[in-house]
Amino acid sequence: MTMPNPIDYLLPEHWGLVELQEALATNSRFGEVETGRLDLTYLDSFDWRLWSSGGELVFEQHKAGNRLCWIDHRSGDLLDTLVLDKLPEFPADLPSGGLQEQIAKPLAMRVLLPMVRIEQQTSSVRVLNEDDKTVLRLVLIEGPFAAPDRKLKGNLERRVRLTPVKGYDEAFTRMQSDLQELGLEQLTQSLFEEALTGIGRRPGDYSSKLNYRLDPERRSDKTAKHILSSLLETMELNLAGTQANLDSEFLHDLRVATRRSRSAIGQIKGVFDPEELDRFKQGLAWIGQITGPTRDLDVYLLQFDEYRRSLPAKVRPDLEPFHGFLVSHHAQAQKKLARKLASPQFRKLIKEYRQWLEKPAPEVSKQPNAMRPIAELADSRIRKVFKRVRKEGAAIYEDSPAEALHELRKDCKKLRYLIEFFQSLYPKPEIRELIKQLKILLDNLGEFQDLQVQAEALEDFGEQMLKEGAPARTLMAMGILVGQLLTRQVQAREEFFNLFNQFSSEQNVQAFNQLFGTK
Amino acid sequence: MHILGVYNIKGGVGKTATAVNLAYLAARQGYRTLVWDLDPQGAATFYFRIKAKVKGGSKGLLNGKHDLDDLVKGTDFDNLDLLPADFSYRNMDLRLEDAKKPTKQLLKLLRPLSQAYDYVFLDCPPSISLVSENIFRAADGLLLPLIPTTLSLRTYEQLLDFLEGHRIQGLELMPFFSMVDRRKRMHLDVMKSLPDSRQELLQVQIPYASDVEKMGIYRMPVGEFAAHSPAWKAYLALWSEVQARLGVS
Repeated sequence: MTMPNPIDYLLPEHWGLVELQEALATNSRFGEVETGRLDLTYLDSFDWRLWSSGGELVFEQHKAGNRLCWIDHRSGDLLDTLVLDKLPEFPADLPSGGLQEQIAKPLAMRVLLPMVRIEQQTSSVRVLNEDDKTVLRLVLIEGPFAAPDRKLKGNLERRVRLTPVKGYDEAFTRMQSDLQELGLEQLTQSLFEEALTGIGRRPGDYSSKLNYRLDPERRSDKTAKHILSSLLETMELNLAGTQANLDSEFLHDLRVATRRSRSAIGQIKGVFDPEELDRFKQGLAWIGQITGPTRDLDVYLLQFDEYRRSLPAKVRPDLEPFHGFLVSHHAQAQKKLARKLASPQFRKLIKEYRQWLEKPAPEVSKQPNAMRPIAELADSRIRKVFKRVRKEGAAIYEDSPAEALHELRKDCKKLRYLIEFFQSLYPKPEIRELIKQLKILLDNLGEFQDLQVQAEALEDFGEQMLKEGAPARTLMAMGILVGQLLTRQVQAREEFFNLFNQFSSEQNVQAFNQLFGTK
Repeated sequence: MHILGVYNIKGGVGKTATAVNLAYLAARQGYRTLVWDLDPQGAATFYFRIKAKVKGGSKGLLNGKHDLDDLVKGTDFDNLDLLPADFSYRNMDLRLEDAKKPTKQLLKLLRPLSQAYDYVFLDCPPSISLVSENIFRAADGLLLPLIPTTLSLRTYEQLLDFLEGHRIQGLELMPFFSMVDRRKRMHLDVMKSLPDSRQELLQVQIPYASDVEKMGIYRMPVGEFAAHSPAWKAYLALWSEVQARLGVS
């Protein structure tokens, strides 16, 4: 037996607790009314990872003490609580154990941000049994809510919450039917959802995932602009978090959106005036460049624990100076990046790019593919890149240079982006399966390249650190890491052949042909 | 989850008042708290206005017929639940003797609750028995109210002998003076003589106060009806000291 969850009802206009008690007086005996206040701050990552994992995280501030509550947002079950002084930023700020473990996994490297705040005012009345024991509570909830920057605010609808007391289910069920008889409307929206709606947001309203619903008949130039506009929006949404370095994922999402934009421009061919396009191509490449150094250091910092763990226990402390090196260089790179992102050059680029994207397409376009329906162009582009990928992959042998694998990876990425941009034009299960297949191959190619880049970077860092007077033991520990990375790279290469054969299997080729045609 | 036993071989030393008031304080801070009234007299249960009855009694509990969680009742206070007493608890020793691993039964019963509660207070029956041994093995802290009399100190020594004899380790002992009457010469003398030799003794003393006795009239923790009384201030201080001892800031 578990306790039933509280049920919320909309309180009729002009009703207060007094009117409600009067209406219920024949069946229930009430205690005195108590008032209280609870400040609620709902937390999630920028991209709603906690909500997507099925939970609602709320920090409750009460005069007697503060705590963090983890709630199943479908059932409303209170899964765990943690008494805590102040708002946490990262799961690492919390003592290890129950709640921390539950949120650490979905959050990964992401920072907790306040999504909405509610100043909840309550008036509560107890329903008593013959021993004057509380068997349930009716709690009137009202109060203002506001966005974290306080720009958007509002007031909650007044709701009355039927709150059970454990072990007194009968009283709860009885009251439930009494309230129903009074005609009170049950509310399905949680306080969180109500307040979010009130500030014009909804759970999951930001995601870095591509999810366009495209019209297959629409002109290709218009569709391309639609895709590019969405990507620009993602870039802009991640700017503030990148500049403030709230967590490493803002920069990552900014970079991915930039890369996807470049890929879209390059791959959705023949739809725009190449001359007009050129400066934006260059501009996007420049964004890729200026964001690179900070991202590289982010990667090493994110991997640092894994590096340390991979070393023999005795050597682990030797790696500490390397961490210090990364942190200080990251701080420098971040400062430079923030300056560049705030520069007139950057702002001008974004402004002009947006103006260009917003400019309506010409009635009649001279560009060869501009006026073709997007479904047709998508088919032909995906076919072409798929063919190239198969050809390149088949030409790779045991002794092919690493560059051949890098080239293949680039084209695989182009293929993946193309399929993802246009996935809504194709049947969902089939397209998902292809993306999955492609992802397996890309993971392998990515690992192969990343390991090499990391090994080379560690060597470079080592040389820099030597100049800065790092201890010899640290450089030796880094040497062990380089060795490990290169060994893993060899493994990745061995695995490649198998994975590529799977990817270009007859079955997969047929699936491609069926979806994108054979012309 | 912290499991705190409140125990003394002797009765009438302020055991139940300690369990109820400290549990109330923990719950008020936001900790999910459970009081298990193991004393068949059911004083804690009475203070919370709950019927002293457990479905299936101690038999149903120990043979696993009823989950502990199903028998729990919410109190009048947020975050504070009670597992009521039952008159059949007077036979719990006999039931325990029949069980496998008779000294670890309570721990086994409590384990599934570790997700649901931050603090569990065990209000223990007086006497040394299999029930108390179970409590010593389940708890990570033992609160020991002592009336400052020579006789009371002797019972504390007896307990220490028992713990040593039964190789019970890792139990944080937290004796403190309870029902202290500063008008009584003997109380003052005993308190003066003890602290040096007993490092584990808590600093806070709970005074003998009619407000504590009134818990039986109001059927509430002291803080609900006499929040400004010296007795309540003493409980507040006691709870801070206990938390510090447990390493909870």
